[in-house]
Amino acid sequence: MKHPVLANRVRLIVWWLIWLFITIGQLLLYYYAYGKFTTTAIPDGIISLAIYSGIGLSLWYPFRYFNSTSSSAPAVITNLILSGAVAVTLWVLINKYLVLLILPKVNDYQAYWQATFPYRIGTGVFIYGLIVLAYYLFVSLYNLSEKNAREAKLESLVKETELKMLRSQINPHFLFNSLNSVSSLTITDPEKARDMVIKLSEFMRYALSKKDEQPVSLRSELENLRLYLDIEKVRFGDRLSTEENIDEECFEIKMPVMILQPLYENAIKHGVYESTESVRITTKARITDGHVEIIISNNYDIAPSSRRGTGTGLLNVARRLELFYGKKASIKTAKENGTFTVTLYVPKDYL
Amino acid sequence: MEKIRSIIIDDEAPARDIIKHYLNELDYIEVIAECADGFTGLKSISSMKPDLVFLDIQMPRLTGIEMLEVLTEKPEIIFSTAYDQFAIRAFELNAVDYLLKPFPKRRFLEAVKKAADKIRSGTGKNEPANQLLAKRPDLASPVNRIVVRKGNAINLIPVDQVHYVEAQDDYVMIYHSGGKALKQQTMKFYEENLPKTDFVRIHRSYIVKVAQLNRIEPYGKDNYVAILQSGDKLPVSRSGYKHLKEELNF
Repeated sequence: MKHPVLANRVRLIVWWLIWLFITIGQLLLYYYAYGKFTTTAIPDGIISLAIYSGIGLSLWYPFRYFNSTSSSAPAVITNLILSGAVAVTLWVLINKYLVLLILPKVNDYQAYWQATFPYRIGTGVFIYGLIVLAYYLFVSLYNLSEKNAREAKLESLVKETELKMLRSQINPHFLFNSLNSVSSLTITDPEKARDMVIKLSEFMRYALSKKDEQPVSLRSELENLRLYLDIEKVRFGDRLSTEENIDEECFEIKMPVMILQPLYENAIKHGVYESTESVRITTKARITDGHVEIIISNNYDIAPSSRRGTGTGLLNVARRLELFYGKKASIKTAKENGTFTVTLYVPKDYL
Repeated sequence: MEKIRSIIIDDEAPARDIIKHYLNELDYIEVIAECADGFTGLKSISSMKPDLVFLDIQMPRLTGIEMLEVLTEKPEIIFSTAYDQFAIRAFELNAVDYLLKPFPKRRFLEAVKKAADKIRSGTGKNEPANQLLAKRPDLASPVNRIVVRKGNAINLIPVDQVHYVEAQDDYVMIYHSGGKALKQQTMKFYEENLPKTDFVRIHRSYIVKVAQLNRIEPYGKDNYVAILQSGDKLPVSRSGYKHLKEELNF
């Protein structure tokens, strides 16, 4: 830890100003008490406070040393008392000899010295107490802000990792089955195979390149989803069809990247995977009171599926929304008459 | 020599196409049918009795695994799937081989050769599903339906409707709201694959749905009996009683 006063120019100026005020105050007090500026008290007062302001600065070093080494309260108190005694003793002695050195002809300084000695000790101890208190205050504030900064850093780190984890869920089944389709198409339809590889690459590039902190427009999200759905259409043929109904003013709304992806993956997994009938995925978006409402729905086979869904896809979307928007976004789902609907409310203004 | 008759079952057309294409080069094998879902696949196997089936796992209506569970006379099976967590189950179901999509031609021909050798030598045909079936749960998520065969009909029993499962030698009897059904499966499998929050194994021979329990009464020294909503009484073993205690916090 650096010296709280010396390391900072502004604080150093404030420090000297405080001492200047104390000195002026003291002079005014003398004037008020004696009715005039005495030739003994004034130079003595100025010199003594100037010395103490210097000693006060150097007190930081023993203070910091005791604070960082000894932990028990009695040890700290003993150290503080000892350094206080040394500081006050040094102060009065330097004060006396300096005054005699600079102003050897001052009237009757010995008598004045003796008369004011108890007050000097009292003042010395009092100022010492104030300085120690100020240092303590500084140290605890410093520790507090240090701790806050550390916690904030940790939190942003955790958040970042979490977002990365939640996002990095490109379904391996999708990937390997798509690659298998490509493998097949190289024989039956090389043109289509190339088209699929390009779409797959574009999709992966989008998923991997975007940073979480940078929101994307609904337009680019939808463009990427079209790539995804086109790839799935090659796999499933007539079993998958899509429909979009997006209000014009929704396209530029900003949102977290890949936030809709898991919802379409769910529609494929629980809709297309489980059904021999054609499954239609419908996407609607419109603005309603400060929010954009995105509705994704698909029909599905009502017969029980082989395994239970784990719900992680939806949970991850909900968690990401919370990390991005706090309580301002929401997601809800509904199952009715063989249609599954998921509705997303996202604030119109990202920030 | 007679040609080997095969069926390709996969819900994705490109996936069927590549198998067909690879097989085109082999003159000793013919494709007699292509199916795009598990249910149609099952019907084709039953009626056409192929020698060899190329089988995908994740399919609509009936998965490849569920298909095999209810087949009484099994042809040789080569699984082709993108889901490698199924591999172990596939071998437990006496598959000749499994192929991970996308697979190279060399690997495919190797699997076909293995199958052809087995078919020609006549070994290992129509083995019953073995006891390894339940060796380990193949997926993290619990089963949601149980596929059973009743005569020629295939029924899907939703797990929600299962009341309890009873061990019967190599089979289990599944008691559900629509009656009961026999299935070749192990208790261990259901202990591991039924939703753990809903079902408790109360006895070596019984797994019961917690919501079906009406009360538990002492029965002789150290023993208990579970009485269900339906009035059925099931024995509770000492360790089963412990499981119940943990599950129900009493």
